Amino acid sequence: MSETQLRIRNLTKTFHPGLFERAVEVLKGLDLDVIKGEIFGFLGPNGAGKTTTIKAVMGLVIPDAGEILIGGDPHDSPAAKRRVGFMAENPYLYNHLSGREYLRFSAELLAIERSEIGDRVAVVLGRVSMSGRADAKMRTYSKGMLQRIGLAQALLGEPELLILDEPMSGLDPIGRRDVRDIILDQKERGVTVFFSSHIIPDVETICDRVATVIDGSVRGVGAVRDLLAREVESYEVTFTGLDPQKVSIPVESAHMGSSAAWVRVPAGQRDALIRELTEAGARLVSLTPVRSTLEDLLLEQYEEGGVS
Amino acid sequence: MRAIRAIAVNTFREALRDRILYLFLGFSIVLLASSKLFGILTVGEQTKIIMDMGLAGIQFFVMLIAVMMSVLLVSREVDSKTVYYILAKPVRRWQFLIGKYLGLLSIVLVNLVLMTAVLLLFVGLYGGGFEPRLLFATGFIGVEMAVLVAFAILFSVLTKPILGSVFTLAIFVVGHVSEDLWLLTRHLPGSVGKTLVSVLYYAIPNLERFNFKTEVVHQLPVPYVAVGWALLYGGVFTTMVLVLACWRFEGKDLQ
Repeated sequence: MSETQLRIRNLTKTFHPGLFERAVEVLKGLDLDVIKGEIFGFLGPNGAGKTTTIKAVMGLVIPDAGEILIGGDPHDSPAAKRRVGFMAENPYLYNHLSGREYLRFSAELLAIERSEIGDRVAVVLGRVSMSGRADAKMRTYSKGMLQRIGLAQALLGEPELLILDEPMSGLDPIGRRDVRDIILDQKERGVTVFFSSHIIPDVETICDRVATVIDGSVRGVGAVRDLLAREVESYEVTFTGLDPQKVSIPVESAHMGSSAAWVRVPAGQRDALIRELTEAGARLVSLTPVRSTLEDLLLEQYEEGGVS
Repeated sequence: MRAIRAIAVNTFREALRDRILYLFLGFSIVLLASSKLFGILTVGEQTKIIMDMGLAGIQFFVMLIAVMMSVLLVSREVDSKTVYYILAKPVRRWQFLIGKYLGLLSIVLVNLVLMTAVLLLFVGLYGGGFEPRLLFATGFIGVEMAVLVAFAILFSVLTKPILGSVFTLAIFVVGHVSEDLWLLTRHLPGSVGKTLVSVLYYAIPNLERFNFKTEVVHQLPVPYVAVGWALLYGGVFTTMVLVLACWRFEGKDLQ
């Protein structure tokens, strides 16, 4: 049986901004299990509760109720924290330090043996491709470089579980590819990766499983392909020799271009449409299955559930 | 212990790179200018005036550092989210606060030592010779700052940086007139007012207990009991305020 690396049960959190402001219930009994060794994506629109969940796991916000276990230990225990590497969204690090100085400071906090610190820092700097700029002050770093140093400090303690909040947010395509490669490299090393994102193609590409969170609770969890398989469900058909308005079966949309006609039909109508086109003497140019994306799934859940 | 030390050292370096030692230069210039001025205006007793002015100047400048840096550096950690990376590691929240406290106190004490050295130099130059009693007076300014920085840490946990600075400054001001608060209770009509002022009297430290400037400048005897009580009082107050700050920080959501 698969071993759980991160277990969250009935996580509840309400923020009370001030005397005259309404309390905001951000997490409403959120449950989640992340299995050892997988890359787990945590998806949701802004305000859904992703960052609050991650902050609760990291002990930065105090939940009103619920249980969080990391490798079987309570999340705020030193044993649990030693297992985790964490990077927040848009890392802001100390301007007065260089990347190397910051990593040495992080190594002290992690209680890494002093004799090992130099080597360990050099290794993670290499892993995030920052060896060349490690001695420059962080105030001179670009956003992508800060992100790399943020990742480096998360990797420094050789964690079992890597928790990343929007690790690709604000990065250019090359930066996103690099972060993606680091995540995949960590998986190969046996590290469990849990990350939130709103950049859905990245999640689709690298995640073993995803959870969608809307309005403070999890709406769906599963392998990306399983979640999407349920949701597919139309075909786009291009043809010539027939006006799309004359197609008798119900279509979702239709368009007459200069060289060909195009219609989208529900999956169940595919064969009927092909039959009709053949009988009418039309020529089929292409038939493309339309699979829903995680984005479609998320939007659908968002519209179904609404936000209170 | 390693985490506390690492946080303290990082805080110290951050303050240094914020050019906080410029205040030390400011103090030197003020002391130089006022010595020249009072040298012209007064006849004799000049050394005493330099000592008096110097000790008051030291107290004022290190108080400024304590008030400004303490609140600023703790809130900066929270606002810029650097604290996330510290607390995500096997570091307890109280260790973070104590590390910040020790780092901030170190920067205040380094400034105090430098300013004391400048004052000793000035007193020596103006014919007063080496005055070791000045070390005693500035030592107790250090004790006073230990209490004040603890309050600054507490306020930085409880409120926004500007308010925190104002409250810490208020502690400094009221702390030096707190004996008047006690006298006030005798003259206030009604029990509510008396109770409120009494609460204030006990909640705010009596910073005059650490003031041995007059005794040092005028060569008056200093009773050992007063010294012992001042040290005990400073230690107990600092511990209580830090425990309160750690307790509040323990339950605080970092957003």
